[in-house]
Amino acid sequence: MEQKDIISKIKESFPDSEIKVFDDRQFSVYADKNDIVRLLSYMQMLDFRQLAIISAVDWIEEKRFELVYNLFSYTHIQQVLVKTSVERDNPKIQSVMNLWDVAQMYERDVHEFFGIEFSGNDDMRPLILHNWKDKPPMRKDFDSLKYSNELYGKFKKSEEV
Amino acid sequence: MSEILTFMGMEDQYKKYELFFGPNHPGMHGNFSYIITVEGHTIMKIDPDAGLLHRGFEKLVEQRLWMQNISLIPRICVPEPDINEAIYSIAVEKLMGVQVPERAQYIRTIILEMARIGAFLFGFGGIGGATGLYTASYWTFADRDYLLDLFEWLTGARVYHMFILPGGVRRDIPDGWLEKLLETVDYLQKRLYEYDRLIYNNPLIVKRLEGLGRVTQEDAVKYGITGPNIRATGIKYDTRKAVPYAAYDKIDFEVPVQTAGDGLARAVQKREEFQVSLDIIKKAIHQLPKGSVRAKMPNPLKFRVPKGDVYVKLETAHGEHAYYIVSNGSEKPYRMAVRGGSFTAGLVYAQKALVGMRIEDVALWMATMDICPPDFDR
Repeated sequence: MEQKDIISKIKESFPDSEIKVFDDRQFSVYADKNDIVRLLSYMQMLDFRQLAIISAVDWIEEKRFELVYNLFSYTHIQQVLVKTSVERDNPKIQSVMNLWDVAQMYERDVHEFFGIEFSGNDDMRPLILHNWKDKPPMRKDFDSLKYSNELYGKFKKSEEV
Repeated sequence: MSEILTFMGMEDQYKKYELFFGPNHPGMHGNFSYIITVEGHTIMKIDPDAGLLHRGFEKLVEQRLWMQNISLIPRICVPEPDINEAIYSIAVEKLMGVQVPERAQYIRTIILEMARIGAFLFGFGGIGGATGLYTASYWTFADRDYLLDLFEWLTGARVYHMFILPGGVRRDIPDGWLEKLLETVDYLQKRLYEYDRLIYNNPLIVKRLEGLGRVTQEDAVKYGITGPNIRATGIKYDTRKAVPYAAYDKIDFEVPVQTAGDGLARAVQKREEFQVSLDIIKKAIHQLPKGSVRAKMPNPLKFRVPKGDVYVKLETAHGEHAYYIVSNGSEKPYRMAVRGGSFTAGLVYAQKALVGMRIEDVALWMATMDICPPDFDR
């Protein structure tokens, strides 16, 4: 299938979604968070069988997290960024674990670094940050310098030592 | 006494043991650990435990200027650092709409293939190390040094080169470098036949690798296994062919595939791709056009990248390495997510594939799957 055929198919089934074409091999679909599992399983049916990565972007001024599901199809050679938003105050979304097994680890990763809850995904043990007590570090309001100063003491210049 | 011990042995807690397979184990590839539950020699359950190598790149990138990041990101992937600069530069160029001169594209291709060969040599050595054939690792590491010498001559650094920049490459090729590179390529070509005799036709290695961790095509797609490992299952997909970058669309090369999908197929696939990389370098040198090596870019300390986001992926020795870069139009990247080539294979697929194997197969499985811990802890 060509890119425009895929886009028209998505538009038919999800008229509310916003589609932006980046180039002839990449486009993005923006959908509501209640539609996201339905949209992703529809994309899987369109032979987008590889989930390349789930990542999040913290748009702090707009008070939302943007979740990006990155899909790829080996038959159409198309990269699709499926995007959705969750509120920053109550970041919660349905897990896509039952569509892709690899989603489990990516969701665990996003949960650890952004604090987004995935309902349906139970194994949310810390993976990378051991004994982390501060707010999730990839959020924009986490100040790494302040954290380091508090934890390890202020950096001293050579003449002060 | 022996009766009591037999009685204790029947209880489950004495039958199963937890084994920490971590960075101090010589078979482990870098700073990463698996917590393995074993019954006898057989693995019952495996729990990946990452985090020993975390350096917070994704956060650091957000705090530096677009150009400053070039010196930071090669450190994400240790065996093949050049891919990081290349992905980052291509992403910035795509967002800014910059056209890279043709000569720079060819030089990028040569650099990327050299890095790829270096990573393959590491991989061959890894197979030797995991099977007790240390000659293989000594030979390949020594041969990799010839490539590092060339990198040092070209860029001034041996491991992290920072040679590929947004807009092109840092400077033109010095006189005599290409001739030396051709000599090295010829030398590696000769050595490849010796590796054949040492590794790929070695009955011991063949016996150990045959049937090890067979990956089906379905699993490979579903679990996001990429690069040489997916081609070892029979799926003929190569990012260099399908979504070309640098000068790969102008260079003629064939993508080899295997069908078995087991450890031996993966090892042989890498050997075949080593040959392809040597051929690509020769062809790129032969076709190298004249001209400038860098497009005109704005002041590196001030330039801004227009608003937008892009996902750029490159074919590397351990799979599909990619960045998702978001810019909000300011002087620094707003967000950069790294997709490591072996993230899914090492963290998710391992939990499925390693169950039922024996303890000694873990290191070899990791070597054939190219598990690279920096992909998890970025």
